[in-house]
Amino acid sequence: MFIYTREAHPGENVPGHDSFERKLACAKLLREEAGIGRDILVDDLDGTMHRAYGLMPNMTWVIGRGGRVAYKANWTSAANVEAFLARFLAAGSEHPTGTMPVMYETQQAEFRYPDRKRFTEHLSRNGPQAAAEFERAQQLWAGRPPP
Amino acid sequence: MGEADNRGGAAGYNYAHFDDYVAAGDDAADEAAFWASPRAGQRAPDFTLPRLGDGADVTISDLWRSKPLVMEFGSFT
Repeated sequence: MFIYTREAHPGENVPGHDSFERKLACAKLLREEAGIGRDILVDDLDGTMHRAYGLMPNMTWVIGRGGRVAYKANWTSAANVEAFLARFLAAGSEHPTGTMPVMYETQQAEFRYPDRKRFTEHLSRNGPQAAAEFERAQQLWAGRPPP
Repeated sequence: MGEADNRGGAAGYNYAHFDDYVAAGDDAADEAAFWASPRAGQRAPDFTLPRLGDGADVTISDLWRSKPLVMEFGSFT
């Protein structure tokens, strides 16, 4: 399931949404260009669902059967999600006889390795504004004190 | 948190310029919102959204009733 939210990097070709009709059109563009075969649900114009789940641009959540959060990541790694799902699904069926799975919670740093040049090219398909604004954002991030 | 007056509405949510969004510190506020959202083991918020294509209303709790649900959030850019 894919949840379409808001344009993280608005530009001349795909600006920030000003109507739900425009949002639907952008979601269709995403589906066609990215070739997403999963169902896509479109959040409302206010981002009500996106706000409830935390407003990050490309996060993944796994909700367990019955509706409790099993996994949340503020960035999507397909490999990480797949590895988690394998463990999560096994927990319900592959525990030693006489034991029961007991949930505990972890929080751990993960790493990704963005290719800035490739990402800028990716943004440029949305017009020069998106790439130029990301360039300025990088300068702003560089000037921030470390967390 | 930047333009606090409109972060609650559609205009603030659908910002027009990414650099202004970062300059206002809204990216940091959104990261904080992620960590303030439900934790593992807590109940997930339920919503009903239209499905792209046929427009059918989909209630996500219907999807996680019988098996786990993987949800990826994203956009064109």
